[in-house]
Amino acid sequence: MRHAFEIGGIETEVWLARDGDAYRLHGDAGEARVALNQRGAEAVLDLDGLTEKALVVLDGETIHVHVAGGNYTLRHLDPARRFADGDASGGADVARAPMPGTVVRIDVAAGQKVATGDPLVVIESMKLETTIRAWHDGIVADIHVAAGQSFDRDALLVTLAAEAA
Amino acid sequence: MSALPFDTLLIANRGEIALRIIRTAKRLGLRTVVVAHEADHGSPATAAADVVVPIHGKTGVAAYLDGAQIIEAARKTGAGAIHPGYGFLSENAGFARAVAEAGIRFVGPTPEAIDLMGDKVRARAFVAKNGFPVAPSAIEDDDPATFAARARALGAPLLVKPSAGGGGKGMRIVRDMALLDQEIAQARSEGERYFGDGRLYVERFVEQPRHIEVQVMGDAHGTVIHLGERECSVQRRFQKIVEETPSPALSADERRRICEAAAGIARAAGYRNAGTVEFIYGRGEFYFLEMNTRLQVEHPVTEEVTGVDLVEAQLRVAAGERLAFAQEDIRASGHSIELRVYAESAARGFTPTTGSVLALRLPSGEGVRVDVGIAEGQRVTTNFDPMLAKLIVHAPDRDEAIRRARRALAGFALLGCETNIGFLDRLIADSAFAAGVVHTGWLDANPALAADPEIAPDLRARLAAIAALATRAIRDGADAVPTLHAAMGGWRN
Repeated sequence: MRHAFEIGGIETEVWLARDGDAYRLHGDAGEARVALNQRGAEAVLDLDGLTEKALVVLDGETIHVHVAGGNYTLRHLDPARRFADGDASGGADVARAPMPGTVVRIDVAAGQKVATGDPLVVIESMKLETTIRAWHDGIVADIHVAAGQSFDRDALLVTLAAEAA
Repeated sequence: MSALPFDTLLIANRGEIALRIIRTAKRLGLRTVVVAHEADHGSPATAAADVVVPIHGKTGVAAYLDGAQIIEAARKTGAGAIHPGYGFLSENAGFARAVAEAGIRFVGPTPEAIDLMGDKVRARAFVAKNGFPVAPSAIEDDDPATFAARARALGAPLLVKPSAGGGGKGMRIVRDMALLDQEIAQARSEGERYFGDGRLYVERFVEQPRHIEVQVMGDAHGTVIHLGERECSVQRRFQKIVEETPSPALSADERRRICEAAAGIARAAGYRNAGTVEFIYGRGEFYFLEMNTRLQVEHPVTEEVTGVDLVEAQLRVAAGERLAFAQEDIRASGHSIELRVYAESAARGFTPTTGSVLALRLPSGEGVRVDVGIAEGQRVTTNFDPMLAKLIVHAPDRDEAIRRARRALAGFALLGCETNIGFLDRLIADSAFAAGVVHTGWLDANPALAADPEIAPDLRARLAAIAALATRAIRDGADAVPTLHAAMGGWRN
């Protein structure tokens, strides 16, 4: 079966075939005879006879690799979900956290009418205070965070809805 | 040098600096106590200390700011001295007083020196009065009603800062005077939140400025010397990323003048302990910026070139000893560079990142020092400052120091949380850095450097091979289709 990984932001399709005591790499990244000898996180990659030390840790669908002097994060793209439309918010009208941080202040209440540019939520990440403002006229449908709460990147902050007629 | 008059040192800090202080304390035969919030369980400092005292707080930062709790920990463990590190309580005069009142030595300056230098307005006035150079400025406290007008009169560009501030928090550059009122309001809000003090001051912003600072060291007997300068012009959002000594910007004469000014300022303040006098330097002129009355994050580069252990000097001064060296004993050799490893995404505007440290391998070798604050298995959260470690290199000259730093960065493996390691390498590999012409606005003016570079085809092949081979399902799939070779006996993997 063909699999795909996100490598440096680019979807890269790969598959392997058995090749004696090693494997044959096929796909978007080129062809090579490859083997990986792993002992815990320590690994030795053999690519067409050239061996190189690496550090490899799997964390769910994420593969963390240190090789060739750099740290890389690769994502195994689930074959079943790969071609599905991946809008996790279901098309909802939401503001997500641009970075992990803490909620400084909530300036609105659910149900409140807002105009474009009105401050909704003030978040803080390290030394930076950012005001999330209404991106269109409407009403605040939901506030997903509370003052003082910390959140990760991409967390839902506020949902807006079009003003009821 | 004699035995210290205390046998137990409490370190009121966390991360790499707690571990770094413990290292010197142990070498001097001291028993070490570290206070630790639960978020820091499993940290290198808690592993290295003889005693760990849990401290509590609504947030991790609040726990390390709780002076009463920390003094109680010192009492309970029989600590005769408290080293505050940097940040947290290190420049809190009230804490320094409370420590002294508890009969414990504070490894730092007098509360009076902290008060003087902690208030930027008073510090500037003090420095100007003593004949040292300061930038044109407007102080809100002089007459709050006319503050905005006086600020406007200085002309753009301006720098708005909280009077009680430090570390770049709440600082704003104003180039468009129409935005002045708005920026003042935002700086005030941040000043109130970070320092509980919304008072501001504004000064002329030097375009393309370089940040030069001087390490000073004073004892309780009136001796103050300097240990040379550090340049910290590689900054993002006023936060330092790379520091080095000597500065590639200064001529020998400028170096002498700036170092003597720093020592003179500290001497005028009757300063004891390690301290740093910061200057803005541009076109041959330098202005006093502020004085930090504590050990500085970037102190290791000074240690590397001078061979002086600044933490040891701090402990001996706190013990009442005279400085073990005179000005003429301080000789710098070679070049040292420090690179701060942050949990942040350079490509996403240097925003903090989170994760778990799944694997950590530190570089080593000649002239390579790593001061690290995290260990495998620890979580990186936004509870604390995003600095995870410092890589410090020392070499006979600057070019070799850059080469060593690049080699060491290549060997710095940290998996599980995105860091700025790759960005640091691009930064010091840049021709502007190599030429030594970087000013504090340089990174902002070169955003392309922060972008993730494209992955070259040969690297993509290696990453794809590792990803495929490390994924059980892909190997199993290949193994389930026996090839001619497999049929001949190559089944095992």
